[in-house]
Amino acid sequence: MKKITSVCPYCGAGCKLKLVVENNKIIRAEAAPGVTNQDQLCLKGYYGWDFLNDTRLLTPRLTQPMIRYEKGGKFVPVTWEEAIRYTARRLSEIKAKYGPRAIMTTGSSRGTGNETNYVMQKFARGVLHTNNVDCCARVCHGPSVAGLQETLGNGAMSNSISDIENSKCLLIFGYNCADSHPIVARRVIKAKQNGAKVIVCDPRKIETARIADRHLQLKNGCNMALVNAFIYTLLDEHLYNSDYVAQYTEGLETLRETVSEYAPEAVESITGVSAQQIRQAMRIYAAAPSATVMWGMGVTQFGQAVDVVKGLATLALLTGNLGREHVGVGPVRGQNNVQGACDMGVIPNQFPGYQDVTDPQVREKFARAWNIDPALMDDQVGVRITEVPHLALEGKIKAYYIMGEDPLQTEADLGLVRKGFEALDFVVVQDIFMTKTAEMADVLLPATSWGEHAGVFTCADRGFQRFEKAIEPKGNVKRDWEIISLIATAMGYPMHYRDNQHIWDEMRELCPLFYGVTYEKMGDMGHVQWPCPTLDHPGTPWLYEGNRFDTPSGKGQLFAAKWRRPAEVPDADYPLVLCTVREVGHYSCRSMTGNCAALQTLADEPGFVQMNPQDAAAAGIKDRQLVWVSSRRGKVISRADVNERINKGAVYMTYQWWIGACNELTQDNLDPISKTPETKYCAVKIDAIADQNWAENYALTTYNAMKSRLREAVDS
Amino acid sequence: MNRFIIADASKCIGCRTCEVACVVSHHEEQDCASLTPQTFLPRIHVIKGVNVSTATMCRQCEDAPCASVCPNGAITRDNDFVHVHQERCIGCKTCVVACPYGAMEVVVKPVVRSMGSGLNVVSEKAEANKCDLCYHQPNGPACIQACPTNAIVCIDRNALEQLSLEKRRRAALDDISSLML
Repeated sequence: MKKITSVCPYCGAGCKLKLVVENNKIIRAEAAPGVTNQDQLCLKGYYGWDFLNDTRLLTPRLTQPMIRYEKGGKFVPVTWEEAIRYTARRLSEIKAKYGPRAIMTTGSSRGTGNETNYVMQKFARGVLHTNNVDCCARVCHGPSVAGLQETLGNGAMSNSISDIENSKCLLIFGYNCADSHPIVARRVIKAKQNGAKVIVCDPRKIETARIADRHLQLKNGCNMALVNAFIYTLLDEHLYNSDYVAQYTEGLETLRETVSEYAPEAVESITGVSAQQIRQAMRIYAAAPSATVMWGMGVTQFGQAVDVVKGLATLALLTGNLGREHVGVGPVRGQNNVQGACDMGVIPNQFPGYQDVTDPQVREKFARAWNIDPALMDDQVGVRITEVPHLALEGKIKAYYIMGEDPLQTEADLGLVRKGFEALDFVVVQDIFMTKTAEMADVLLPATSWGEHAGVFTCADRGFQRFEKAIEPKGNVKRDWEIISLIATAMGYPMHYRDNQHIWDEMRELCPLFYGVTYEKMGDMGHVQWPCPTLDHPGTPWLYEGNRFDTPSGKGQLFAAKWRRPAEVPDADYPLVLCTVREVGHYSCRSMTGNCAALQTLADEPGFVQMNPQDAAAAGIKDRQLVWVSSRRGKVISRADVNERINKGAVYMTYQWWIGACNELTQDNLDPISKTPETKYCAVKIDAIADQNWAENYALTTYNAMKSRLREAVDS
Repeated sequence: MNRFIIADASKCIGCRTCEVACVVSHHEEQDCASLTPQTFLPRIHVIKGVNVSTATMCRQCEDAPCASVCPNGAITRDNDFVHVHQERCIGCKTCVVACPYGAMEVVVKPVVRSMGSGLNVVSEKAEANKCDLCYHQPNGPACIQACPTNAIVCIDRNALEQLSLEKRRRAALDDISSLML
């Protein structure tokens, strides 16, 4: 029996754990003394590893390369040589015929780790010569990255997960940590016990709202109006730190003007929050000796998201809550390595280490290091994943190389995404599971999973942590970066890496921000936070020392914007707001947690639609009954979870369900800057189903039919 | 006095880690990978209301109504907890009705019975299912160890006295300080 150190592959909390292994089988997971988790895990950490055994509870593992030679045909198992040769040939043909920008690639924010993401963006930029590389940060914290880079200079949490408990005030906006990061929720509870004031802004009575000093139960879709009213109050009541603002920020007068129409009294009808509550919340926030703003998808998954992020950063700037311990801005990243995917440059505008693709000197540096002609490098910002369906339909994107992502489950408006996929000439999916996206591929490249390889992840607070290999993979699978290297080599660019560290060290040499983060420094339980520019640098627990911001002028940029209404508001036909949320027991597209016995037992298809008892009664729906949920784009079956924590007029679903797939209903009103879809807001209706026996039978047979279809696709 | 487990609602986040920990702890091989909906029979239950999230389980009552009403003497007090002797349980459910906390459940488990001469038959066995403080575990109750927010605690005579003492002190001192104002 041996114990292998790893990092949990689910949320961004970065929990260190030990996998107990016997005869190449994991027998249990134990909590380890990591910096962020301190010997604690949640249920996903403890019971979320048995998908590695190919349980087929939801969908099977991919165990051999396969090709679908003709559209609509069957998958044919092939050798790795054939899979690589075919993929390289097809990609080369498309590149030659339509140009490099006709090919889209993705990194992966999940279990593959930073090394693979570095190699993938190198493949896109150095071999294909396109900046068309992106990851699912686009549909989650993309707006936080864009908004914070502009206002403060860095797109990540300015503080540390372990320091949250020392803050004297937490302003939690659109962030349900109990469901999305239980191990961060633990820090919030500790902060409360340490005497912190907790202010929660959320339409639902979430777990944190229960223990909050103030719960501002705002209406869905009015974030900017509320943030403007916050800013208005800070200025109006002179609650802001005028010395700090004068010394370290810019834009006060424009800010004052922008928020002039957003007095708390003036926005009561928009936000549904009384002026008194808004003013009291800001008095508490401004009076606290240290205050931290935390937010999640409730801020970022709107058509107006970047603006709200900038507004939240402005609250911190106005009150001087940056540049020291116990304060800051915390967009808590969702997936275990979504911070890392961004760090490694699987974003269309920046190389690894947040170096701009539009900067000729940066391009030259990378081109020289990679031994290619700088003139071949793409000098324009590439395509975002959310734009792919539209560009495919316009004929501008022809090939899509998807690694460790499941857009046909996780993107908004799946009907549109499917049409986009149909318009593509060539789809390569590299994954560990037969997802709904993998099912549509022309080439399937099976990869090793978390647990079967080692590497480095970056957790939500910029902390690099190593994870080790626990078991040998079964099946004819390869490490993700090895597959990419083989394709690159077959396309005429020889790419060979010995191991993870070989890639890591090449990356460090090119990224001043990460240069000091060596394998030795990270060690077994280490957590090294960027910036870490030199070998003797210990890492940076909080950003902006001396209140120097990484903006062109070195000053924090104050910002507010007029509130914009969501794109599709409820009407007589579709009277309810649908907002997509998280549930604690499953993760992302559920291909991993759905194949874990304990987690699947706790919650299974067709999933739940959370609704207020009054809305349920009006529609004649009882708790736990199956219902139809429909929007202008689709209709799915789901199970009613009627409870009083839900605000009237809105319903909530989770995107992890494959039968009750809420993304069939959502719409893609993209934020103009970050191109993040508005999955937190669209209009739906709910219909009761009179014959519940029929409904149960329908849900079960649809589920079973899907499962056997996916199994057949693998076993062909 | 019996020890008992209780959850602090101000720390509970309703994540149900305790429920899985309980099931795994009472699983023969301690293996989370072989759980099924049929064998998922937690003795601790997470309950959520508008203002409360917490976990409920057996209070290990001193004068336990479940033990008093059991017609077959299957429930006794052993080692500071209320213990169900499954081999004597007949599945009559009287204890379920008697328990004021809803902590007792009668569940049906698949078992393999040997019929002699190598013949094994799968049949069902009813069991009265409730918290046994994981008396079989060297490290004590699994839910307490697994809870990510340390919301679940075990209370014994000392802990209870400490709790009361603190409350008395708070009540007395807080009242006086407010009167002085």
